[in-house]
Amino acid sequence: MSLFQAEHIAVSFGGVKAVQDVSFTVHSGEVFSIVGPNGAGKTTIFNLISRIHDVDAGRLLFDGDDITRLPRHGVAERGIARTFQNTELFDGETVLNNLLIGCHVHRRTGLLAELAFLPSVRRQELGFRRTAEEVIDLLKLQHYRDHLIAGLPYGVRKLVEVARALCMRPRLLLLDEPSSGLNPEETEDLGFWLDDINAELGITVIMVEHDMGLVSRASHRVMALADGALLTIGTPAEVQRHPDVLRAYLGD
Amino acid sequence: MRFIRKTRYAQDIALFRHNGQRFWYALLGVLVVAAPLALDDFYLGEMAQVYIYAIAGIGLMILVGYTGLVSLGHAAFLAIGAYAQAWLLTRGWPFPLALGGAALLTAATGAAVALPVMRMTGIYLAVATLAFAVIVEQVIVHWASVTGGFSGMLVPGADFAGMDLASPRAFYWLCLGVLAAALLLAANLLRSPSGRALVAVRDSEVSAASMGIHLIRTKTLAFGLSAGFTGLGGALFAHKIGYLAPDAFTLQLSIMLLLMVVVGGLGSLHGVVFGAVFIGLLPQGLALLRDTVPPAVAQIPGLEPGVFGAILVLVLIYEPQGMYGRWCKIRAYFSEFPLYRRATYKRQKRYLRTERLQ
Repeated sequence: MSLFQAEHIAVSFGGVKAVQDVSFTVHSGEVFSIVGPNGAGKTTIFNLISRIHDVDAGRLLFDGDDITRLPRHGVAERGIARTFQNTELFDGETVLNNLLIGCHVHRRTGLLAELAFLPSVRRQELGFRRTAEEVIDLLKLQHYRDHLIAGLPYGVRKLVEVARALCMRPRLLLLDEPSSGLNPEETEDLGFWLDDINAELGITVIMVEHDMGLVSRASHRVMALADGALLTIGTPAEVQRHPDVLRAYLGD
Repeated sequence: MRFIRKTRYAQDIALFRHNGQRFWYALLGVLVVAAPLALDDFYLGEMAQVYIYAIAGIGLMILVGYTGLVSLGHAAFLAIGAYAQAWLLTRGWPFPLALGGAALLTAATGAAVALPVMRMTGIYLAVATLAFAVIVEQVIVHWASVTGGFSGMLVPGADFAGMDLASPRAFYWLCLGVLAAALLLAANLLRSPSGRALVAVRDSEVSAASMGIHLIRTKTLAFGLSAGFTGLGGALFAHKIGYLAPDAFTLQLSIMLLLMVVVGGLGSLHGVVFGAVFIGLLPQGLALLRDTVPPAVAQIPGLEPGVFGAILVLVLIYEPQGMYGRWCKIRAYFSEFPLYRRATYKRQKRYLRTERLQ
């Protein structure tokens, strides 16, 4: 069953055709990786999905609904969470507060109730905290719970970003180069976490990734891009052997 | 050093963390409530003024300290609150309704101002709010049928249900009560989703939006709440000065409010109160000091603004976290003695932010 579909999407910035006529379908429950050399348009596709850029042509469908023109915050409300390549955390806050902000889409209380801190707000806060603690347990972040983001090492920040996205309890998770800046050991751990997120929590994942080891280990299907155009979609082994992919990475 | 054993999540959202805190806040509460029994009217008036600055400062702190939007026009919101209070009282509104009405009207104005300046940040926003303050000043001057124009407007006496709220003692308790209520509302806001949304917008807009936070609504909310608190302070300020004229709400007052939150410590409600004490009592402290230094020094023109500015510059250079930040360090020093490490509070490097997105 398809959860997410991109139909002939294209975007250009001035004369640069960042993404041209790319179509793909992501099935519910799979880990779908996007690979390609630098500048292939991988992150741009994420930015199109999360509505940071507008598509010039084509449509994006999530769960059968057209999300091409949703406002930015509407994408999160539909259940699509994302992380950023160089981390975009709330630096002045603790890890716990970052995760609680991740729970924001599930907010049901109004401003006046919050100003008075009514029992409904208190119950909701406790519920958010429980969600955050479950994610902390899953990703083993207990040690860092009350640390400020500004003082954390890069690897932990990457993980906190994943945790914050999980607090949204999303149906689709977009991971933008989750292993960049991680050492080999951390990357291996990331592979296990991806399995947990996908298999135990049942979250569909689209991942932009350069580490082919992680891609082949974790993903069901892979899409290869070069210069904004689609090369091929297939299993990790198929994509790695595909002549167009080899040419894009290694040259003729 | 105190270790708190946490067994329930509710402990983390409580207003007070432990019994020691409850004890000290209760003691402070008793002292400030009982202050009129020991102090004469002059000092009561000065302390009421400090509370009024603090109420207005809560508003500015929500905007500057928590949402990261700088305003150089908050004297205008103070003015709107003050004039609204005086006007509503002359219409015969009872005192508490007029107070609430003034705050709501100012909040609505703030939300309306937010719409055109929404996309601005930093210096551009500061200039836009400055322009807003000039507009408000001109409106006050020219809308003479409501504001009295240049000749000003007498603020009706404050009384409610037979109580005279204008006497120094009653006014002191009134300001104290409103400040306590305002602090409670602000603390509630900051421990709930709306308050976290403000912080999220401050730290990373792109990330806040992808967490499902409505940027425009959140910024409008920040402006509205900020203006509302400042308007509430303005309503009390009207009673403090007794007679409203356009030249009571100048750019200098806006800057003073901004200095208050910066010197107090951005991003904390403690900082507002510390800053208000600093701003409110410094002129008096200087006046006392002036009597003790040689006349040649005391009579230098512009001594007060000079000392004021010097303190500000020193704070910004040596303690960007403000007075509250310094207080936290002193407290940590004693609670961890002799193991305190200076590096605990060293500013951490920031990693490169993603540039593809901006």
